[in-house]
Amino acid sequence: MDTVKKKRNFVAIAFLVISGVFGGLQLFSKPLEGKPVTGKIEAPKEVISILENSCFSCHSNQQNLSWYDKIAPVSWAVNKDIRRAREVLNFSEWGKLSPAEHKGNMYAILNMMQSGKMPLHEYTLLHPSAKITPKDIEIIKKYTLSLSSANPAAQHKNEPHPASSIPTAAATKFPVSPNGVQYTPDFKNWKVISMSTLFDNSIRVIYGNDIAVKAVETENFHPWPDGSIVVKSVWKQEELPNGEIRPGKFINAQFMVKDSKQYKDTEGWGFAKFSGDDLHPTGKTASFAKESCIACHRQLAEKTGYLFDVPMKVNTQRLIQNLQKK
Amino acid sequence: MKNTILILLVSLVALTACRKENNDKDNGLKRVVFDPGHLKFISNSLNPKKETMSALYGNEKALESLSEENKTPEAGTIMKLVTWKYHENPQYIGGTITGELLSIETVQTDNAGNISYDIKNDIAKNTSPNKEERIQYFMSYRPVSRP
Repeated sequence: MDTVKKKRNFVAIAFLVISGVFGGLQLFSKPLEGKPVTGKIEAPKEVISILENSCFSCHSNQQNLSWYDKIAPVSWAVNKDIRRAREVLNFSEWGKLSPAEHKGNMYAILNMMQSGKMPLHEYTLLHPSAKITPKDIEIIKKYTLSLSSANPAAQHKNEPHPASSIPTAAATKFPVSPNGVQYTPDFKNWKVISMSTLFDNSIRVIYGNDIAVKAVETENFHPWPDGSIVVKSVWKQEELPNGEIRPGKFINAQFMVKDSKQYKDTEGWGFAKFSGDDLHPTGKTASFAKESCIACHRQLAEKTGYLFDVPMKVNTQRLIQNLQKK
Repeated sequence: MKNTILILLVSLVALTACRKENNDKDNGLKRVVFDPGHLKFISNSLNPKKETMSALYGNEKALESLSEENKTPEAGTIMKLVTWKYHENPQYIGGTITGELLSIETVQTDNAGNISYDIKNDIAKNTSPNKEERIQYFMSYRPVSRP
């Protein structure tokens, strides 16, 4: 009799403690700040419906959360993910984007879906209806590719020109990115590690300094050694009458500088982009790459240490030795 | 007789063992970076029909000859055209990247102005391109423009 009563008391106390703790947690659960829809994405209906179903809950100002998403401690994780997701891509503030950025984002979305990185696994576990199917990916792909053919001369990203905000430290001759990465023309003397093109009709040559070249050759990029620098020089494509393509107008030089201590938030890489003939740096704050560059590099290029244009593993040492012989 | 069979068996085992070892090392495939020595990158090109991309390297004389849009390379010129097959970027739909190294062509002018042409490529595809045409093709490149 006594033991039964004790047990009952224990259950009651445990229940009270747990509900007390949960109740207490809710006090610390700051609700997600509501934001207006300033310019929703415009695309064919079937594309919008996939995005709404699988992406909008985090990447928009129109959250459609379940009750359990709003209860602490789940809500902490959910709100944090949503805040970060909106920083990177927000379908409710799409009006701010240029057509080139719209296209760039669609390619990023396609690549994230195709590689299975998005929607996040943790999210589809609790929200199975948000899972995307191969058919969904086909629809997104068809739409994304159609953007390329419709606007062949478009460029990758047209950042507003921060004319007066170029950091001009007295001692530095060359422009500096807000995160401290400085432009250097030295890369023109480095080895070319690869060449590439992108959907924006650009042609690119990628250079690596000695540390980076050695890392490529020895496949030592998990992680890349500190001091590695990779620079991508980007031009518009220019077509010759015979169909061959040559580099035309200079667009930008993109730097990735490895410093695991200084760039902790972006997997140890300092990103910078210097555009146009005046090499004006991209970004308003030191953390600009956290909201833009690293999102794609982190999800899609992890295998090669967060770099996209690492030479493919397709050649034999013997072949290159034979060909390089004088 | 028994000895011969034994030797044959042992060599067979040895050969298979060798082959297996090679397979374990990704067929000996590597990520390679072309070393142009003292030459510098001048320009590049993309051929959508052949699915190739080439990089042109050269010395100071080569840079001068191409900047001045000469028909023939000046004495002392060394130029190398390195051609790679390109592929869809395995990590990004919408991008391409260079893959297999296909050939290295060299155009050189000695001090007397004699122009030589040489091509090194995969032995399997032994082609001998027209020397004059190739020199003209080299001379069609212009150094890339950038600040």
